[in-house]
Amino acid sequence: MHDGSGLIAVQNLTKHFGPVAAVQNLSFTVSPGSVTGFLGPNGAGKTTTLRMLLGLVRPTSGTATINGRPFHQLGRPGRVVGAVLEAQGFHPRRTARNHLRVYTAAIGVPDAQADQVLTLVGLGSAADRSVGGFSLGMKQRLAVATALLGDPQVLVLDEPANGLDPEGIAWLRNFLQSFARMGRTVLISSHLLAEVEQTVDQVVIVSRGQTVYYGPLEQLRQQQQRRVLVQPSDIGALAGALQAEGVTAIEQLPDGRLAVSGVDSKHVADCALRAGVSIYGIQEEQVDLEQLFFRLTSGQYAGHVPAPYQQGGWAR
Amino acid sequence: MGSMNDLVQAELRKITTTGLWWGLLIPTVLVALGGGLLSGGFGQLMIEFTTSAEAEQLSDVLGVTPDQWKFSLLGIGRTINIVTLFPLVFGAMAVANEIGTRTITTTFLTAQNRAQAMLAKLLVYALWGAIYGIATIAAVALGVVLTSGSSQMPGIGDWAMLALACVLASILMTMFGVGLGALLPNAAGVVVLLIMYFLVIENAVQFGLRLSGTPETVVGFLPNGSVNGLTGSVVVDLFMAKAGVVPEEGIDFLRIIAGAGGAQAWWLSGLIFFAWVAASFGGGWARMTQKDIT
Repeated sequence: MHDGSGLIAVQNLTKHFGPVAAVQNLSFTVSPGSVTGFLGPNGAGKTTTLRMLLGLVRPTSGTATINGRPFHQLGRPGRVVGAVLEAQGFHPRRTARNHLRVYTAAIGVPDAQADQVLTLVGLGSAADRSVGGFSLGMKQRLAVATALLGDPQVLVLDEPANGLDPEGIAWLRNFLQSFARMGRTVLISSHLLAEVEQTVDQVVIVSRGQTVYYGPLEQLRQQQQRRVLVQPSDIGALAGALQAEGVTAIEQLPDGRLAVSGVDSKHVADCALRAGVSIYGIQEEQVDLEQLFFRLTSGQYAGHVPAPYQQGGWAR
Repeated sequence: MGSMNDLVQAELRKITTTGLWWGLLIPTVLVALGGGLLSGGFGQLMIEFTTSAEAEQLSDVLGVTPDQWKFSLLGIGRTINIVTLFPLVFGAMAVANEIGTRTITTTFLTAQNRAQAMLAKLLVYALWGAIYGIATIAAVALGVVLTSGSSQMPGIGDWAMLALACVLASILMTMFGVGLGALLPNAAGVVVLLIMYFLVIENAVQFGLRLSGTPETVVGFLPNGSVNGLTGSVVVDLFMAKAGVVPEEGIDFLRIIAGAGGAQAWWLSGLIFFAWVAASFGGGWARMTQKDIT
């Protein structure tokens, strides 16, 4: 039987669909007590990886385990791991409650659990309606309810925000965080970092079927260099003064401001004062994780965009 | 094996929480009732014809006893053959529907393994096959009772044998459908294929053989020929047991009418069709336990 650790371990996981390598030699672990984001552009192999973890797709090589065991050795998997997957469906003419009762039976938990999870996800009043008439957001809530039926220790969610309204996303965020705080494991995939940035503590970033970053989100944030955005009265004078002080990472933005990297705003302001340049506005740029994420995962599809920023001619 | 019981319970709920099973039960009962009415009526008509003065003279000359022939039996056999197409379709939807609605993902996520999930499905659908079979024979019997006199009524023993063949055929057809629906998991495609095969293709083959004068024995080894042989041979046996004298050349004709042309004995036909069921379910099983669910 499984070890009850709540640990997800993916080791050297590889999957080929014919000639296409969907996942290549992927390795990472997910620990209980935190929400882990599984990030990468569409087509990076996220869904295939999650499906291998859940025993739905057979790996070409490598292993994926939950609680130290492959999915099919978990015994009663519905009581260990709950999953919300994109391609998971409902019979359109079955009511929400009946849908859940099919799976309370399969998992072997009391039927009362069906009504409990319906209330939990806010579908209590729609229990006797056929799922065919549900909105995308309601279906997604029902999928979450289904995943929770067996009171699992581990939750795996594939792009759960798809179809959810802002209210639903906020609810899901709070729910997942409190779920993780109970010492359980949450693995949630998304192709948008911004979508899960406020939810996750750890991230696994994949691109082209391979892991490109794996660790705390905080650490990723610190990797990003800060920039000071300043609007001076005389761009040339300020840039010259900064360069004279050895600050070379200066960039002119299309809106006429300067972006100065590697120094703080106080340094820039002092330098401007000494050079006799007025400053109309100055701010330290928020850490732009999305850009970092994009840089980590770029190149999967060879699309090029024009780069006007580089035409400013300032030393970089 | 607590998990197996749970999966059986889950499969039962899948069936009872949607309308497909009674949606197919309605035509099952209606066609069975209609077939029963026609069978009884046809038998009654034949008996009135054969007991007319001229016919009696003729049969006396030929040394046959048509006034004892229970023609209704032949119609009953044919009716059962046709009606078992409904449980066949019902079975075919078992897996194909789950693939279509993508509930198969949740089914596999909540089962210990796919083999158990498939086995639970097979057991529950076999039970539902029996329910269709019982409904069929009951509706046929009602139809026959309403339209035929006592001389055309099969006896209690006959009915027991007919019920056995009917329920068995219905269970086997359902299981055959479950297997094929897993092997070709496209609900519309598999239903069209099965109906075309059982109603048209194999009958066309049989008709072709008959026209060319080739023995039809091969048909008794095909899916439709063998399952029809199961009920058809029972019917012919029952007919012959009470028929007194029947001319030799008439027997083949009777078999064709009863749907047992070219078929083996009822039990052997049943075994042959069971082999087809095993092949179909084995194929579906292999497909579903190996398939990547994406």
